[in-house]
Amino acid sequence: MELPYRLRRLDPGSYLVREGDLPSHCTVLVTGYAYRQKVTGEGSRQIMAICIPGDAVDLQNMFLDVSDHSVQLLTQCKVADVPREALQELVLTRPTIGSAIIELTLVEASILREWVVNVGRRDARARIAHILCEFAVRLEDRGLLTDHGFELPMTQEQLADATGLTSVHVNRVLKSLEADGLINRRRRHIHFDNWRALQDAGDFSRRYLHIPDQDTLAQTY
Amino acid sequence: MAIDAHPLTALARRWSKHTNLSADDRSALLALPFTRKTFSKDSYLVREGQRTNECSLLLRGFAFRQKLLRNGSRQIISFHIPTEFVDLQNGLLSVADHNVQSLDGTEAAIFPRGALIELADAKPSIRLAMWIDTLIDASIFREWVVNVGRRDSRARIAHLLCELALRLDTIGNGHNGRYDFPLTQEQLADATGLTSVHTNRTLQSLRKDGLIQLTARSLAVLDWKGLSEVGDFDELYLHQNFKG
Repeated sequence: MELPYRLRRLDPGSYLVREGDLPSHCTVLVTGYAYRQKVTGEGSRQIMAICIPGDAVDLQNMFLDVSDHSVQLLTQCKVADVPREALQELVLTRPTIGSAIIELTLVEASILREWVVNVGRRDARARIAHILCEFAVRLEDRGLLTDHGFELPMTQEQLADATGLTSVHVNRVLKSLEADGLINRRRRHIHFDNWRALQDAGDFSRRYLHIPDQDTLAQTY
Repeated sequence: MAIDAHPLTALARRWSKHTNLSADDRSALLALPFTRKTFSKDSYLVREGQRTNECSLLLRGFAFRQKLLRNGSRQIISFHIPTEFVDLQNGLLSVADHNVQSLDGTEAAIFPRGALIELADAKPSIRLAMWIDTLIDASIFREWVVNVGRRDSRARIAHLLCELALRLDTIGNGHNGRYDFPLTQEQLADATGLTSVHTNRTLQSLRKDGLIQLTARSLAVLDWKGLSEVGDFDELYLHQNFKG
C-alpha cells in the first residue's frame, strides 16, 4: 500500500480526536494505548472503548460529518496519521481493502454492544473480570501478551470509567479477584492464575470479538 | 398514508439523505432480490451463534437487538424501526454475536448476503450508504454505553425516549410529538439496565412533571426541551443532518 502518512510521538492524555471536530486525517496507533470517551452534562466521564497497538482510532470519521466522541491517549504513543481523503479514495476504489476496513468497524461495533451489556446488566465483579478477559484476548491476537498476562495501561479510575463504577469499587473487586486466586498483580501487571475461572467470573465468551479461534490462553493457563 | 410502489423506495429515500445515489444506483437497489417475511411479537429474526447468510430490513413494525446473560437476565442493545436494517453487519461477519427479536407484528425484507455484496461491489455509493448505516449504529451503541454507565435512571429513560422520538420523526411516524410506541416497560428497563419497578417509577415522575404521556401503544412528548434537558440529550450522535 502506498498510503501517505506522518508519524508523531505523543504524551499520555493528549487528544487524538475531540468530540465535535472533523479531523483531516485518520490515526493508527503504532505503539501505545488510547481510549474513547464522552463526558455527560453532569461532568462524569464514560470510557466506551480501549484502543490497542495496531488499531485505527477514528475510521468512523472517514465518512461521518463530525466526531461524536473524543479519543485520548492512555500512554505515550507513536501514531501514524493518514490523510482522510487518501483513505476514502482507497476504500471506495478497492472493494477488497474497503471490505477489510468495513469489517474492522463492524467488529468495533460488536465490542460496543458487549459493553452495553457489561455496564447494563453485569455486577461489579463480572464487569471487571469481563473487561480483563476482553483485553487479554485482544492483546493475544496481536501477540502482545507478556509473562502470562499484560501490563494494564489504565489507572483504577479509568477502569471505573470504563465499567460505570467508582474507583473505590474497582479497587475492592481487583482485590477480591486476587484473593480468590483468579489473577495476580505486580504493580500494573495482571497475571492470569486461573484463566478459566476469570472467564466464568466475567460471563465471558470470545465470540463477539470475531477473532479466529486460537485460544492459546486456554491451553497455557 | 401513501403506499410506496416498491418496498425498497423508502430505503432509497432514507439513504439519499446521507449519500448521493444516482438514478442508476437507485434502480440497481430496487432490482435486489429479497423475500418478505412476517414475524409475530417476540419471535426471533436472528439468533446469537448462528452462521449468517442474509440481512433483514424492517418494512413494518419494530424490532430489537438483545443479548442474554448466563444468569438469564437480558440487555437490549438497540431498537429498530421501519427502513432500518437490523443486522447489516452480518453481510460481512460470519457468526451472529447477538439476537434480534420482533417487538410487535413485524414485516421484513430478507436479502441473501451474496446479492448485497455483489451490489456493494458494483455500486460504490451503495457500499458507502450501507457502511454509513453501520457507523451510525456504532455511534448509537457508544451513546448507550454512556447512558447505562454514567446517567441516573431518570436521565437514562428520558434519553432513550428522546432518541426514539427523533428517529421516529425521520420516518414520518410522529405527529405533533405523538408516536406509535409499542415498547413495554420491561423492554425499556432492559434497554436502560434498570428494573421494571424502577422504570415504572421513573416514567411516572416524567409524567408527573408534564414531560410525557405514555399509554398502551402511544408516546406523547409534551415538553421536548424539558425532556431533552432531563435526558442530557444531544442529537449529534445520531448524525442525522449531514450529507456524505
